[in-house]
Amino acid sequence: MRSETKRILRRLLRNPSAVIGFSLLIFFIVVAIAAPLICPPQSYNPYMIPIVSWDLTPKPPSDGHPFGVIAGRDIFYGIVWGTRTAFRVGLLVTLISTAIGLFIGSIAGYFGGWIDEILMRITDIFLSIPYILAAIVITSFLGMGLNNVMIALVAFGWMAAARLIRGNILQVREEQYVLAAKALGVKNFLIIMKHVLPNTIFPVLIQASMRIGSLVITAAALSFLGLGAPIGYADWGSLLNFSRNWLLGASGEAFKYWYAIVYPGVTMVLFVLAWNLVGDALRDVFDPRLRG
Amino acid sequence: MKKEPILSVRNLKTYFYTEDGIVKAVDGVDFDVYQGETLGIVGESGCGKSVTSLSILRLLDEKGKIVDGSIIMEGKDLLKLSEEKMRSIRGNDIAMIFQEPMVALNPVFTVGDQITEAIVLHQKTDEVTAKKMAVDLLRKVGIPEPEKRVDEYPHELSGGMRQRAMIAMALSCKPKILIADEPTTSLDVTIQAQIMELMKELQREYGMAIILITHDMGVIAENSDRVVVMYAGKAVEYAEVKTLFNDPKHPYTWGLLHAIPRLDIEQQRLYNIPGVVPNPLKFPKGCKFNPRCEFAEEICRREEPELKQIEENHSVRCHFWEKVEEAKRAEVGERV
Repeated sequence: MRSETKRILRRLLRNPSAVIGFSLLIFFIVVAIAAPLICPPQSYNPYMIPIVSWDLTPKPPSDGHPFGVIAGRDIFYGIVWGTRTAFRVGLLVTLISTAIGLFIGSIAGYFGGWIDEILMRITDIFLSIPYILAAIVITSFLGMGLNNVMIALVAFGWMAAARLIRGNILQVREEQYVLAAKALGVKNFLIIMKHVLPNTIFPVLIQASMRIGSLVITAAALSFLGLGAPIGYADWGSLLNFSRNWLLGASGEAFKYWYAIVYPGVTMVLFVLAWNLVGDALRDVFDPRLRG
Repeated sequence: MKKEPILSVRNLKTYFYTEDGIVKAVDGVDFDVYQGETLGIVGESGCGKSVTSLSILRLLDEKGKIVDGSIIMEGKDLLKLSEEKMRSIRGNDIAMIFQEPMVALNPVFTVGDQITEAIVLHQKTDEVTAKKMAVDLLRKVGIPEPEKRVDEYPHELSGGMRQRAMIAMALSCKPKILIADEPTTSLDVTIQAQIMELMKELQREYGMAIILITHDMGVIAENSDRVVVMYAGKAVEYAEVKTLFNDPKHPYTWGLLHAIPRLDIEQQRLYNIPGVVPNPLKFPKGCKFNPRCEFAEEICRREEPELKQIEENHSVRCHFWEKVEEAKRAEVGERV
């Protein structure tokens, strides 16, 4: 087992994009953990970006505010504490929606027949509803707020995992070792848990790690539309929402307020890139079909 | 004294309901299995051998249904048991080993894990004892350094080793009946002989019955006590192995035996049975073997023959089994 771990580590280190991905990810994790040290909270709720000025015009980066100020709030503070928000939204939503998808997909795939038919038609119905639109409807129905955004994202985010795991299970179900396990009298539940899932789960985990990144974008889009986090909450999407009015710059100076969009934007891109590279690296290392 | 069979299959019929129509994969199979004996099931590919074995364990996929017949084991009809009861029989009373040891072991678990799984499941022991038992079993099936092998993954073992590991897994709960579905087909010849020898030894030791499924008449001749010959889903002949080889009554059996190359007779060309196994969706009317049979007459195309008992322990499904005997006598006469 230990030689297996060593082998995996060696392969990861030899792959430059994996190294970049994991370094970025570790960097973000460190920032998220060390947020209170980097930007000590100044109010009762550390997730609310402290207001430093009542002047709404953005102010360029300066000594106290390295990324500038927007809507009277420090962009640097928002980005640092927003890292925690990004992890919370990405991980929680992915975890829950993947779990739901796994549950539905594995039941459909393993038992087949009419159970499969019903579950997959339900999946189709969910898939046929535009994701963003559904999320908007649900958040406006449940009320604004980050938790409601997450509920909406979970409710419309489990289908891909369900379909993926179902397809893989349909394939693995025909394998002789599953029949062999049945011939030994192993219970259905145990067969799914021990013999089917371990052989099908990697593509789902890889897809999930890549989804964490893109979910943060979706959540940011909802925040940008004003549906997500409350005003002033440390969230990258909310920062972009502030800069919406300043996107065009001032007359004659198109890039006057570049910092308002570049810093939150680049952070988000790097975050998504980190997860995508990590997902790729995981696939290269774990996918049994790519094993040498 | 007459022995009681440990398993008797009567008139077993397993059909598959496919989109193209009903495939009668098994359509009337009868046999008895006795304790400590080996029953061979022989036939060409696609004649229903494997489906018969899966029917005994009730492991058919959702398209397959057992529509008729009975499978009596120690007074219980396996076809009438609940799924729960059936599950406790699988692995415990009846175990099975498969054709492809390469794919019959789960690639993500160690060999030991998979054997312990079976032991823990049926014997209610703890993991540590089960692991010790797994090592003992691996030693028993002739795997060298079992303490080390028990922690290896299937891909680290050779084909023969994997089949030995499969046998160890199947034997873990000392089953009364072991179904071996072409256990040696994918192994090379020297390993084949070793595996068959191992199974015989274990059979003597545990006193279990073996149902040996194969298309290889040689394997049947060396290893079984009784034989069922299957053709197109039906048992066409059932006899003790000596009787079958010395005195085949069904033209199909006769053809199969004829098709074995022999060194003691000079042959220009190896005999083969003309034609192929019919498409299971379009079985011929009457006797299913009639288009390929050199003895076929009008009645064979019209009426399906019944399985007739012609001697003690010898039944045959043919209208003209006496004719086969005559033809054979004539042929032997020619050679002498």
